[in-house]
Amino acid sequence: MGISSSRPSRRITKQDNAILNMKLQRDRLQQYQKRIQVVLDRERDIAKQYLEKGDKERALLALRKRKYQAQLLTKTDSQLETLEKLTQSIEFALVEKDVLFGLQQGNQVLKEINKEMSMDKVEKLLDESAAGIEYQNEISEMLADTITNAEEDEIEEELAALQREEIAKRIPSVPTADLPEQETENAEEESEEEERVSERNRGRRQPALAA
Amino acid sequence: MSTEGQPFPFPSIYSFPPFFTRQPNSQTWTSQLSLWSSLILGYCRYNRIWRIDLNTAIEWDLFSNKEINRSLKLDTCREILDSMVKKGNAEWVSGSGRDAADKNLSAIIFWRRPEEWANMIADWIDSTGQRNAILTFYEISDGDLSFSQDFRGIDATILRKALDILVRRGQAQIMRSADGEVAGVKFFGVQ
Repeated sequence: MGISSSRPSRRITKQDNAILNMKLQRDRLQQYQKRIQVVLDRERDIAKQYLEKGDKERALLALRKRKYQAQLLTKTDSQLETLEKLTQSIEFALVEKDVLFGLQQGNQVLKEINKEMSMDKVEKLLDESAAGIEYQNEISEMLADTITNAEEDEIEEELAALQREEIAKRIPSVPTADLPEQETENAEEESEEEERVSERNRGRRQPALAA
Repeated sequence: MSTEGQPFPFPSIYSFPPFFTRQPNSQTWTSQLSLWSSLILGYCRYNRIWRIDLNTAIEWDLFSNKEINRSLKLDTCREILDSMVKKGNAEWVSGSGRDAADKNLSAIIFWRRPEEWANMIADWIDSTGQRNAILTFYEISDGDLSFSQDFRGIDATILRKALDILVRRGQAQIMRSADGEVAGVKFFGVQ
């Protein structure tokens, strides 16, 4: 949809008119079919009525008329089919046109982008950045030369001091607050439990010993 | 949609005899008008009636309750429709204009406002992928794709009004056939 809505033409084109006319023709055929169907049903009723009256001739005539209408109906059916097929082909062709238009546009954009990225430009750019990197390296070398060995030692010293500080920060401080009371109760319970367990163990152990 | 076969469930006011007589008190009359208006709208919506022609409609069960043997007078009926026209729920259709008595006898009932129809058609176009498609009026009201839609069989005048709204919004354009008759519409996407 994006392709077709981005198109500036929000107008009725010749193709649109052609489609409309074909669809109108189709509508007319459909309405005609409805009418024939009504006539078909009516002729049948008429034939029945004549038969009841005993007028065989007229009943036959009505049925003959009905037959003719039925033939018309099949004819219009095939016409309708042709018309609908044609309409659909046109609509599909329009869709294809849209796709082609989209492809063309995409191709153009790609070309333009490629034009902006010409080989020469890329080469020049790479050369320039290489020169920049070289220049940067030179500056670093020059700066490094100006620092003496003594100064280098001082820098090392400073780094070590910083590292020590960092380590000191990382070690947590010793907690000063008392332990909460509940934990002590728990601890008591636990010790009681332990006693009981050990008593039981003793009881169990004794027969074991006796044995 | 409409539950075919079953008759319209009339409200209890329909069995109230004074409801069918124009009340002299203006306040009572006003509320009577609004009751009638919603009854007519409901009835038309239920039975999918697009137009009321008073010549024949006056005998419908809508305007005459045989059980209590009451029916609405033609003049009262016309007055009710007139008030609906003023509220925008209906619109008089000028007959062939032969004489003045012919006027104000046939009305289009908007049991949905044209804007609602317009939105509904626009949604349908969207959901059935018919943007940029060309449709005939007949196709919208009676085509294969609109089969289960609420606007199935929509009155041509109402359809035209709804489409005009879409045209004003820039969502559609009316098309003419080869013999210059307004017959179709081209839809655009919503922007």
